[in-house]
Amino acid sequence: MLFNLDGTKPIYIQLSEWLENEILNGNFESDQKIYSQYQLAEIFNINPATAAKGLNILADEQILYKKRGLGMFVANSAKEMILAKRKNQTLKRLVQEIVLEAGRLQVSKEELIEMIKTADIGEAEK
Amino acid sequence: MSLTKVSLIDVVKKQYIYKLKAYSQVFMSLIFLQLLAVLFSMNGVGSMGGSTGGSVELQVKYFSADFVAAFTMLWGFITAILITTKAYRNDDFVFVANRISSNLSNAVFLLTASVVGGITAMLSSYLLKVIVNYFFKSTPILDAPIELLLGIFSTILYVFLFCALGYLVGTLVQISKAFTVLLPAAFFGTLILEGLSGKAGTVANVFDFFFTESSLVLFIVKIIVSAGLLFSGAFVLSNRLEVRG
Amino acid sequence: MSVIECSGLTKVYGGAKALNNLSFKIEENKITGLIGRNGAGKTTLLKIIAGLLKETSGELKVFSEKPFNSLQVSANVIFLHDQMNLPTALNLKELLETAASFYPNWDRELADRLLDYFSLNPLQHYNGLSKGMKSTFNMILGLSARVPLTMLDEPTSGMDAAVRKDFYRALLKEYLAYPRTIIISSHHLSEIEDLLEDILLVKEGKEILHMPVDILKEWAIGLQGKTTVIDEWTQNTEVIYTKSIGIDQSYVVVRNHFSETEWQRARNAGIDLTPVTSSDLCVYLTSKTKGGIDDVFNKG
Repeated sequence: MLFNLDGTKPIYIQLSEWLENEILNGNFESDQKIYSQYQLAEIFNINPATAAKGLNILADEQILYKKRGLGMFVANSAKEMILAKRKNQTLKRLVQEIVLEAGRLQVSKEELIEMIKTADIGEAEK
Repeated sequence: MSLTKVSLIDVVKKQYIYKLKAYSQVFMSLIFLQLLAVLFSMNGVGSMGGSTGGSVELQVKYFSADFVAAFTMLWGFITAILITTKAYRNDDFVFVANRISSNLSNAVFLLTASVVGGITAMLSSYLLKVIVNYFFKSTPILDAPIELLLGIFSTILYVFLFCALGYLVGTLVQISKAFTVLLPAAFFGTLILEGLSGKAGTVANVFDFFFTESSLVLFIVKIIVSAGLLFSGAFVLSNRLEVRG
Repeated sequence: MSVIECSGLTKVYGGAKALNNLSFKIEENKITGLIGRNGAGKTTLLKIIAGLLKETSGELKVFSEKPFNSLQVSANVIFLHDQMNLPTALNLKELLETAASFYPNWDRELADRLLDYFSLNPLQHYNGLSKGMKSTFNMILGLSARVPLTMLDEPTSGMDAAVRKDFYRALLKEYLAYPRTIIISSHHLSEIEDLLEDILLVKEGKEILHMPVDILKEWAIGLQGKTTVIDEWTQNTEVIYTKSIGIDQSYVVVRNHFSETEWQRARNAGIDLTPVTSSDLCVYLTSKTKGGIDDVFNKG
């Protein structure tokens, strides 16, 4: 439904990323209860076990914590953790990919830095 | 989700009600057959005439509801075979059933059918008398109420016996198609062989056993026991039948 | 608690083994997809679980009881398939009422609303319905009954795409509101895989694999590149599927138990790595040969 179903990224990972975005956007504050696996299943039309997997990834990373019998809650420093994670993993990986691709296309690092400088965030978001 | 616990009686009851609705077409064929039988009976079963030396002529035509009763017994036999066929048997297993509940509810259904058959058979005889009275402008000889009740009662039992027989036959056929040939062969074979040898045959003996019993109580016992045996046989044999197709 | 426990289950039909030493367990309240080719034994298995057929050998327990001739199992299992014969004398409304009498959890309102939503006429008779409408009615029957073990055999036969979507949604919503053990056998794995928790893949009456869908999606990987390079890389791995592309390239599917670094090296060597959809994977795993139908045309 709202997910990219071409198989490159598992649904539960896309789900966890969506949840992270929800937290970054401020839809969920620290210590606030986040969607349950059943609510997520209903929203995204998936099996609740898959939704639970997505929630558990975030719980393992301590972005969410479990309260017995009550559900999953947003951790205190969730926002900061997510930003740090994205910077360290995702952004780094994207940088590596750009560098690799630039190498294949025989674009020099200086050219690449120029491209980054002139890249318009406005353009990118369209 | 918690599991449901069911009792056999409960299921048999529900299946019985289900069958009354699902198998309701058999009652239409009952009416049709009985009307047909009434038509056949219109000619009379026998007649007697005589005249005294004078100018009085007496004609007595025997009209009897025997045809109707016989047709109803045949109907019972066929209906019982019908409900053992796949299409009918499988209807049970769509919902909640096991073979015992299916057989029991079938037996109760056949009993109901026999009761309906018996009553309508007797009513048909009245229909016959009414028609005869209308057409021949003669005085019908009516049965006394007690005879009427006895007539209905015994017809019901006879029909039920034929149902039991049909049910066993149908079950045997379901178990092995070979019986479609074997059973008629055995039946007619016995008739022919014994007929040729001139002896009173097995079939005739069976006939006498039931149809010429004069004691009411003994009659009831004979039918109930025989029907019981036939049904039990069918129940036991069908217990391992799979639901295919 | 395992709802279904099956061990060494074998079923022989006139000389052929429809089920061949099948073993598996199904846990409570999971939605399991029963996947396999036509003739793989799916319907036979479901019929044995429902108590309609009897196994030739092996052990099968449903709710800890043997299903054949068990009233308890019959009361807690509902099996809907497209060869069902519902009595012709009853119309749809009467059929739903019959179901209501047999199943204590029956939701009359839900059934009526679904009947209305799918524009089925309650006074119609079952055998007068088209194939798709029969399947729709079966679905209404199955969902409204709220039976602890609900088994659906090819539930979407004949349904158009819109109705199929609605059916999956209705199934999910019912499951979320009233969890129960559900088994769906279907040819449209790609359509239902998001709905499923587990997949049980059968081939020629035997279980090949039984695992969560999420794991299955990452279980194998597709490699495409120069045949020589691919062969080198897949020397010690079992190849599930292979197809030649052009003059000197191949596409193969193998088990995905290589590490991230190994994959990176593969990419550097010019191999293209692509995920394999569960639907394709199941097709490859159940083919007779590694080349699939192309082998028929490639011989000679």
